[in-house]
Amino acid sequence: MPDRTLADVSTELPPSEWGRRSAAPPAMPWIFAAVVILLIAGRFVLTPLLAFPSLQTWATIFVAISVQALPFLVFGVLLSAAITAFVPASFWTRALPRHPYAAVPVAGAAGAVLPGCECASVPVASGLMSRGVTPAAALAFLLASPAINPVVVVATAVAFPGQPMMAVARFAASLIVAVLVGWLWLRFGRSTWLRVPARTATAGSKWEAFREAAQHDLLHAGGFLVVGGLTAATLNVVVPRSWLTAVADVPLLSVLVLTLLSVLLSICSEADAFVAASLTAFSPTAKLAFLVVGPMVDLKLIALQIGTFGRAFAARFVPLTFMLALLVSMAVGGVLL
Amino acid sequence: MNRMSQSLVMVFLGGAVLRITVLSTSYLNYVKPGFRPFLIAAGAVVLALGVIGLIQEWRKPYLTAPDHPHGEHAEHHRHEDHSGDAGHSDPGSRAGRGSGGSRGSLDLSHSSHESTDPSHSDHEGRGHGGHDHSHGPRVAWLLCLPVFAIFLIAPPALGAFAARSEEPPPRPPVTTDAYAPLATDSVTAMPIGEFIGRAWADSTYSLTGKRVRLTGFVVPSAKKNRWYVTRIQMNCCAADGIPLKVAVLKAARPPVDTWVEVTGTWVRPKSDKIPNGMVAPELVATDVTEVPQPVEPYE
Repeated sequence: MPDRTLADVSTELPPSEWGRRSAAPPAMPWIFAAVVILLIAGRFVLTPLLAFPSLQTWATIFVAISVQALPFLVFGVLLSAAITAFVPASFWTRALPRHPYAAVPVAGAAGAVLPGCECASVPVASGLMSRGVTPAAALAFLLASPAINPVVVVATAVAFPGQPMMAVARFAASLIVAVLVGWLWLRFGRSTWLRVPARTATAGSKWEAFREAAQHDLLHAGGFLVVGGLTAATLNVVVPRSWLTAVADVPLLSVLVLTLLSVLLSICSEADAFVAASLTAFSPTAKLAFLVVGPMVDLKLIALQIGTFGRAFAARFVPLTFMLALLVSMAVGGVLL
Repeated sequence: MNRMSQSLVMVFLGGAVLRITVLSTSYLNYVKPGFRPFLIAAGAVVLALGVIGLIQEWRKPYLTAPDHPHGEHAEHHRHEDHSGDAGHSDPGSRAGRGSGGSRGSLDLSHSSHESTDPSHSDHEGRGHGGHDHSHGPRVAWLLCLPVFAIFLIAPPALGAFAARSEEPPPRPPVTTDAYAPLATDSVTAMPIGEFIGRAWADSTYSLTGKRVRLTGFVVPSAKKNRWYVTRIQMNCCAADGIPLKVAVLKAARPPVDTWVEVTGTWVRPKSDKIPNGMVAPELVATDVTEVPQPVEPYE
């Protein structure tokens, strides 16, 4: 969400370091040393001053969400970077059926073998399109991959111990939504709405591309993960349990509230199951809606989609996906949970 | 955010994760013990990426010759990004341009400001052009927050503040009827979750008359003549923690958040009519001993 705006603002500033990179190194080690000293000294000076129970509780939950999600994020980012760097995009073109209506479900199911969170799937999908894959199939892949890949399924199963149906329902509902959206786009979508991006060639070695992709994804997704952790920790401490419980008791409203929460929190799909599990007062169907909508529609994803595919596309694609995801997860939740 | 800052943020993040897993057991305040190897691996990867980035950045000035064209290249990209944003205010015309199928080569050539968008997409997304990594996502600065929280606030395990609500937990802990019989002549130590399960869901009332020992921290109660010995039950991380409370009767309350061992006997409710989970089970204490905080603070 704010990332795009910020990034654009940064592009307008006159970058002072061009071609004079040597200006940076002398300053940075000192900043580094200062931060290290601050961190070590702060341990003795600041920590006793910051010992308010409310702040400590908030910080514990915030750190817990961040720390818990990190291994999943790192794993997903590394695999995603490896696939981007080492598997040529033409491979996917050959693997898909020629008929578009058949290609949509195959591409959606192919999302199951490509681990990554939603921030990674947008560039991969745009890469697929630019190499000639039917846009509808690439979109089905875009929607399915963040929610049904093995890393996310395992994370969901870990977050809901004793409730294996949650992972199953998430898989089923996400795949259904992805295929439905793909078919609808194939039937009613117009090519003028969609901006098919071109890809610039990779510069440097494959290992360098791998490292850069991993670093960028980790920083980008990690940053948004922190946003989600901040919001979730604040909600956890500030909002009395009774408020959420009050909403949680209303059947339809609770589903809608959690769905909107998943859009606002913008948590990476590799970590959102843990946040959903912490919302203990809500019904399983409401949590399922949280898990299905979150990876398909959220603020950071909308920003990424506008940036990649254009505003005309996002204005149609996002509401369509949101409505379908809400309806399908309620239906699947009613049947399976 | 330039490359140096990106690498530094990753060094700090990886270092902080290793600090709480390898050098101490404070990660147990946040996650389950089984997560340690995964956390160490993730922290090591992040640290390694950051260190490699730093090394490359330090070596940069000595191989600068190819760097200048790169800078100008980036300038061009930035300019295009900017005009791409102007294009967003007029989606119709841009979408019209976007309909062509053969735009790729045009855009790659950077020949005109009309060809704005693909470079933009790379800027927003993963970006392989090389230009965008010198300006990483600004949102990444937020990754400093967990590092500062870990070092400066040093968040302890959840305590009385997190368990302050007088309401019962939103869902009763997992219960089972298959409890082993308790010894009659000695004190049995048990988790608070098991005590609550036996009190609420055991049709044989196995707790009746048995002496048990519970370990937890002290939470005050709004009601008189009682306080709670409490343990937080954690499924996955501290964000999903649920306080499990047992009311302690006939004992003076130690300071809030003190860890104690309480020995005593279950008080069977006078009526079975009260649904399970509405009120905390009660315990008449015979002995309350202060103990250090367990290494693993959660159940």
